[in-house]
Amino acid sequence: MHAMTTATCTEKQEGITVSTSRFGQLSVNPEKIITMTSPFLGFPDSKQFIVKPHGEESPFLWLQSLDDPKLAFVVIQATILIPQYQPEIPGLIRQELQASPEQLLETLLVLTIPRENPEGMTANLLGPVVINSEKRLAKQVLQDPTRYDACWPVFTMDHEE
Amino acid sequence: MLILARKAGEAIAIGDGIKVRVLEIKGGQVKIGVEAPAEIMVHREEIYLRIVEENTRAATEAPADLSSLASVFGGDKTRIKPQPKRDK
Repeated sequence: MHAMTTATCTEKQEGITVSTSRFGQLSVNPEKIITMTSPFLGFPDSKQFIVKPHGEESPFLWLQSLDDPKLAFVVIQATILIPQYQPEIPGLIRQELQASPEQLLETLLVLTIPRENPEGMTANLLGPVVINSEKRLAKQVLQDPTRYDACWPVFTMDHEE
Repeated sequence: MLILARKAGEAIAIGDGIKVRVLEIKGGQVKIGVEAPAEIMVHREEIYLRIVEENTRAATEAPADLSSLASVFGGDKTRIKPQPKRDK
């Protein structure tokens, strides 16, 4: 006879509470924390982040720093924005992210959204955030500047392939 | 900052694995060769500064919420396709 597994196993949700300037107090599951193997350039003091979906229907995610309440980036999965985008990830960066050579890594693109002109939104293809979601390790991996732009316009009718 | 004078052909060693050699000095430009292990990323400084700049812009411009974006979606010009189901 099945023991009732109703109150679904009493997993300890030892959420930690983090205060953020945008989202107020956030309860964070420690297993969801993403650690940067090297921090975002320009933000050396933020090593831990969480990914917070903007909403069920939205393609946007927030990358919220747990070290700096004010720091959050709007990001989007590269596969949604540019399916053919293939950032180069050198083997040693894979090692740094503790990923096997064939492991699929997730890529997030940091978006810059001009406050007064959201349609001028751009995606940073020069410095994608590469994540090993199994190990929860991430790094901003610089790409070849002759191939990729740091502010690639998201909304445009001009560069159709 | 350590400052060293070098002639063309001369190098400096940084640690065991990195050598920076002056290859040629011509006009106002110096050609530099960098030998470094593959795990050391070598970039022109401008690329770093570009990323720092763009990260900073992204962080400071990031709106308080994304409600302003609601209006920009739905038009034909968006290249953002419907969100695939997220795995739990």
